[in-house]
Amino acid sequence: MNSVINSFGSNSVAWVITPSFFWIGMALVGVPILIHILNRRRYRVVAWAAMEYLLAALRKNRRRLKFEQLLLLITRCAILVMLGLALARPMGCAESSIAAMAGGRTGLHVFVIDNSYTMGYEADRLKARTHLDQARLLGKQQIDQLTAGGESVIVISAARTRRATGTALEKAEPSEANIIVRSTYDLDAAKSAIDRLEPSYGGTDMANALQLAVRLAREETRQPVKHLYVLTDFTRSAWETRDAEMLKQVGREMTAVFGPHVRVHDLGKPGQWNYAVLDLQPEGKLVTTKFHTDFLAEIKGYGSGSDAMVQWKWDDQLLGDGGRLRPDTTTKAQRQTKANVTEGGQHVLSVTLVDDEKLKVDNTRYRVIEVASELKVLIVEGERSTGMLSGSGAFLDLALAPRREMSPGGTMRSDSYVAPELISDLEMNNKVFGDYRAVIMANVSALSAGQADQIQKFVKQGGTLMVFLGEQVNPDAYNTIMLPRGLMPGKLVARKAVAADTKGFTMDFKPQGAIHPMLNAFRGEEKSGLDTAQVYTYYQVELDPAAKAEVVLKYLSGDKETNDPAITLQSLGKGRVVLVSTTASPDWTSLPAKPAYPALVHELLSGSVDVGDAWMNLEVGAELVVPAGLRLSSVPTLLDPTKKPVPIEAVTQDGQTFYRSKPLEKPGLYQLSTGAKVVPVAVNVPSDEADVRLLPPDAVKKALGDIDVQLVGDELPPSALAKEDGLDFGWPLMLIVLGLVAAECFMAMRFGHYRRQ
Amino acid sequence: MSTVPQEVDYRKYLDPRTLARISSLDLRARLIVEGLMTGMHRSPYQGISVEFAQHRPYTQGDDIRHVDWKVFAKTDKIYLKQYLEETNLHLVCVVDASESMAYGSVGGRDATWTKYDHATAIAASLSYMAIQQQDSVGLAIFDNELKRYFKPSNSPGQWKIVTHELCLIPRLKKTNMGRILDQLAEKLNHRSLIVILSDFFDDLEGIQKGLRHLRYKKHEMMVFQILDPLEIEFPFEDVTLFKGMEEMGELLTEPRVLREGYLQQLAMATEQLKKMCRGMHIDFSRMNSGEALDVSLSGFLATRSASIK
Repeated sequence: MNSVINSFGSNSVAWVITPSFFWIGMALVGVPILIHILNRRRYRVVAWAAMEYLLAALRKNRRRLKFEQLLLLITRCAILVMLGLALARPMGCAESSIAAMAGGRTGLHVFVIDNSYTMGYEADRLKARTHLDQARLLGKQQIDQLTAGGESVIVISAARTRRATGTALEKAEPSEANIIVRSTYDLDAAKSAIDRLEPSYGGTDMANALQLAVRLAREETRQPVKHLYVLTDFTRSAWETRDAEMLKQVGREMTAVFGPHVRVHDLGKPGQWNYAVLDLQPEGKLVTTKFHTDFLAEIKGYGSGSDAMVQWKWDDQLLGDGGRLRPDTTTKAQRQTKANVTEGGQHVLSVTLVDDEKLKVDNTRYRVIEVASELKVLIVEGERSTGMLSGSGAFLDLALAPRREMSPGGTMRSDSYVAPELISDLEMNNKVFGDYRAVIMANVSALSAGQADQIQKFVKQGGTLMVFLGEQVNPDAYNTIMLPRGLMPGKLVARKAVAADTKGFTMDFKPQGAIHPMLNAFRGEEKSGLDTAQVYTYYQVELDPAAKAEVVLKYLSGDKETNDPAITLQSLGKGRVVLVSTTASPDWTSLPAKPAYPALVHELLSGSVDVGDAWMNLEVGAELVVPAGLRLSSVPTLLDPTKKPVPIEAVTQDGQTFYRSKPLEKPGLYQLSTGAKVVPVAVNVPSDEADVRLLPPDAVKKALGDIDVQLVGDELPPSALAKEDGLDFGWPLMLIVLGLVAAECFMAMRFGHYRRQ
Repeated sequence: MSTVPQEVDYRKYLDPRTLARISSLDLRARLIVEGLMTGMHRSPYQGISVEFAQHRPYTQGDDIRHVDWKVFAKTDKIYLKQYLEETNLHLVCVVDASESMAYGSVGGRDATWTKYDHATAIAASLSYMAIQQQDSVGLAIFDNELKRYFKPSNSPGQWKIVTHELCLIPRLKKTNMGRILDQLAEKLNHRSLIVILSDFFDDLEGIQKGLRHLRYKKHEMMVFQILDPLEIEFPFEDVTLFKGMEEMGELLTEPRVLREGYLQQLAMATEQLKKMCRGMHIDFSRMNSGEALDVSLSGFLATRSASIK
């Protein structure tokens, strides 16, 4: 009997959803029999005179009475059995015509519809222009096959939900916003919702959408059979994700919840192709008005198509002829060398592919470039009474802004994009750090707790702190004040020096070897001097694992590595901290005498300074977060590419108030008005969605952990049109129970109960 | 003998539940008759005799059947005829004292009013009325045999004897009414008015024989079938063990399922008895021992009155 009861999915026998009710019903059959027996044992005694008539009545009606009593008993037992069976809800099998006649079909049907931007590919089918139109059509056709009143529908969007967290984009958990229709029996409403499902400009987040489908299906405990339909275009980004393990886990859960009722529709069109601009950025990190910068565009082609014309624009002005291109997956980045950057501030660079392809939304990519015309740097000199070129601060000042010409006032003038300001550590309290992009502490003895707090806040908001050590440094003060605030990569353990007549330490720079990205400018430079510079004294730093500092260069003692870092780089909030464990002056090292010294200081600065344009370059679905440091002369307003206003609200967090928009759903150039000026904001489609080459069906199955999935094309399979699986006999049985109850009442009345004359 | 205060409403003594609390049968009978007569004030019933006595003026409410039209024709005044006692009436009460007559559900646990109580109350009341009118009264008490028989007599002590005997006779045996009636027919020499008080739970053929024998002897007869309310309605619901009286065995059953059949059987037997009596010109009346006695006695007196005409 157990096999009958629990044979889920079997075609040969019926099965029940809640067998416990069936067994309870069977157990309760004994109750009427027990009551009958007990009633026979509990009686009253009456002396009776007219016994003759009673016996005569008994003789005459004995058979009828026995039959009536038996009939009543059987009816009562049957009521309990049938009630238990009805509550257990037996399901009909696929091949039973009786089941089809008697049972009402029930079930939950979950539709996961991919509405990422690649679903907007114009496949030009007879009744559907895009893949999404075809998905809508299939969804509605499937719903038309459902039984009204018995089957319910859930519709989920598989578009990616992302949110901005400052500079980084993080993937969100399954979002309620992806639920288009919660479980509903109103099939017309479900179809209308599918019709209203809009194309998204985001990517696909199949793992989270499927996880959401599993969760909602689990919550729907009333439905015995659950079906899942995935309508997608089989793009690689959906199935070949970094969340492969998560997708496999979801696949296992899908099997547990939906059993064999999972159908995946491949709506992709064989031979479809797409060109896309995946990335656009300056070659260097910092774009300034002083140095020329090239820009690189990553253009890829997926599938074979025709030639495309490349158009570069700088502030909406064409940058000459971009040439023609037939990109593929191996195409190298396209370089733009003609951008003439003469003004600071925000500029918009765009690249557009002009071709005849069917998916144009990713053919253009915008980039807002923050051009630095003047990078203000505050250099704090810790050594007192120093003259020209006699302190670390002075060396750094000169390295950052070499003097080229005499000013009318008699001072030397520099044409560097860096505008250093050299002050004594005694003047620190008079400065507002927010006015500078970087603060350099050169041989500063110690910071007060208040100063350290100010510096910490400055760095967390995106500023850069560079620390050069030296004779004046009080290591205990550094360890107790700066280290706990994350302004040091580790503890200053000891000062290490070489004897006066011995060779100093060197740094482990190998021009042809592995080089930290900050030192890319020195790659292959054999005579930079970085590898020959002598360091006679430095502070040993015991790196704190919690600081997660990167070692840029280490010291070498002779040819041996010392494990003592010479230069480190670490993040703190949105900013960075660079530590150089020796002096910036020739006091402890010969490095300032080397030709690479100014370049090294520049590279350390540009490599660690926050360009500050991340908040202006967003992906579809992200929120615009206006940085707290942006000067606003009125409440900011935001217009989308079609000049429609986008709601923007003030948010207070950690005592700071900033403005945040709702997720930006359309790609293009937005305009943020700060009152005094208009700042462009570039929103681009996700680059990982562009690959429209179809995955082989097995790859999808494999991505889901080789679960049992029905893989079909862009039409409903014939089985979907004649499905009889999941016929619920619960209600018909309940009607039988009601009939039996009515019969019992009638019989009880007719056979003697409640009868009066 | 207890005395009854004059201002008492005697009609309440017609209720079996009240009578059941009065132990003395002769007192019961007096109270019944007093109650009956109070209720029959200005009624057409003069008595059980048929001899004319006197005229009296008509009063509103009197039965016009007793108007003396001849007097009206002569005097243009309306008078009613009243009748004198008939001195040669012999009333014989035949009372069934079998075990089945001991069944009773009326009254409380301490004072149950049985069918036998009902029968003796009627018998005593009729005897009292007859004695008051100088008629002769006889008594026969039986179960499976004729236990007691007293010849009709109009002596003043006869009523005392009758009530005494009705109280004494125990009820333990099966009934055999046919044979008893036969015996009675042999014993009665004068034409008598025989009143039979029983539940008639017996062989109807035997009863028919006995009645026919009595009728053959030119006796006038009245048959009172006395049944308990539970016997008439059979209202039992739960499973019940019925212990049959008069050696009829036991039956454990669900009474509700037998009710219809039982009532059918009872109705059939009653109808058969009634038909039998009608065929022999015997007055038949079924009495419910739960109902007031005036119903029984009024019926009896009405029948007698009808026979006067």
